[in-house]
Amino acid sequence: MAISPEALLTALIARTNFSPADREVLKANQDWGAQLAPTMSDHFYAYLDRDPEMAAVIAKHNRQRLGETFIAWFKEMFTGMDDWGSQYAQRRWKIGIVHVRIGIGPQHVVPAMATVVLEVGQQIREQGKPEDLRTALAKVCMMDLSFIEQAYLESAYRAVQQETGMSEALFKRLIATGIS
Amino acid sequence: MANLAALQSILQGFVSSTPDVQGAAVVTPDGLPLASLLPPGMDEERTSAMSAAMLSLGERIGREFARGNVERIFVQGEKGYGVLTSCGSEAVLLTLASHEVKQGLLFLEIKRVSEKLASALV
Repeated sequence: MAISPEALLTALIARTNFSPADREVLKANQDWGAQLAPTMSDHFYAYLDRDPEMAAVIAKHNRQRLGETFIAWFKEMFTGMDDWGSQYAQRRWKIGIVHVRIGIGPQHVVPAMATVVLEVGQQIREQGKPEDLRTALAKVCMMDLSFIEQAYLESAYRAVQQETGMSEALFKRLIATGIS
Repeated sequence: MANLAALQSILQGFVSSTPDVQGAAVVTPDGLPLASLLPPGMDEERTSAMSAAMLSLGERIGREFARGNVERIFVQGEKGYGVLTSCGSEAVLLTLASHEVKQGLLFLEIKRVSEKLASALV
């Protein structure tokens, strides 16, 4: 990877201005998050089921296991695992690679993440949770989304470089000169 | 550091003194142009990137096919030839020639000019 998962996370934390206050509000609500996770999972997969392309991808995998993975991911957004450190970065990178491997592209991931952000926002409003929590969760969701997007880019770079022997600089130059 | 004026001068001599050679360029393995004398209408940046990419891919294919070190990548079109060769590890030489060129003479001249360019790049 041209950028390490840890460096990517550091950059994203800075770019989203993910502050100590954001971390605190998430951690303070981790029990609520754990309680909400199964509902969010149901909502998420119901959304994917309505998309024929996504439904076809999902059908190839164990639904229960996917649900468990979603629940674990959702809970980790509240705990930050190791306070949004190396462990969190590595896990997010791995999630990105899994998405690439099973063929879930940016055109699928971005709207799906938007669904999560909207639904969790609605739950926060309905359950009278603080607005700060919605903001912090939105930041974490965007960081996680960036990991998946970056995984796509890096995987494509790596595959082309491996198969053609091109340096990263040459590959990027070809893209730049090829865009008209 | 490469003497760009020297590279340009070597290319100039090569193109003007070799019959039916229509243009040439020296580029880095990352696809950056170092010196060029290309026919009108050819984009130097794009040509440089493509030249480096093609030689890189050719060398990769040469290894995969167990063909040993690649001496040149030779593109034969209905309007002429494009030849890519390494100038040491620092640069790639692109030569464009018309259909009428004598291939033996072309390859000999490319070999000579590649050696000159490699020396100038040291």
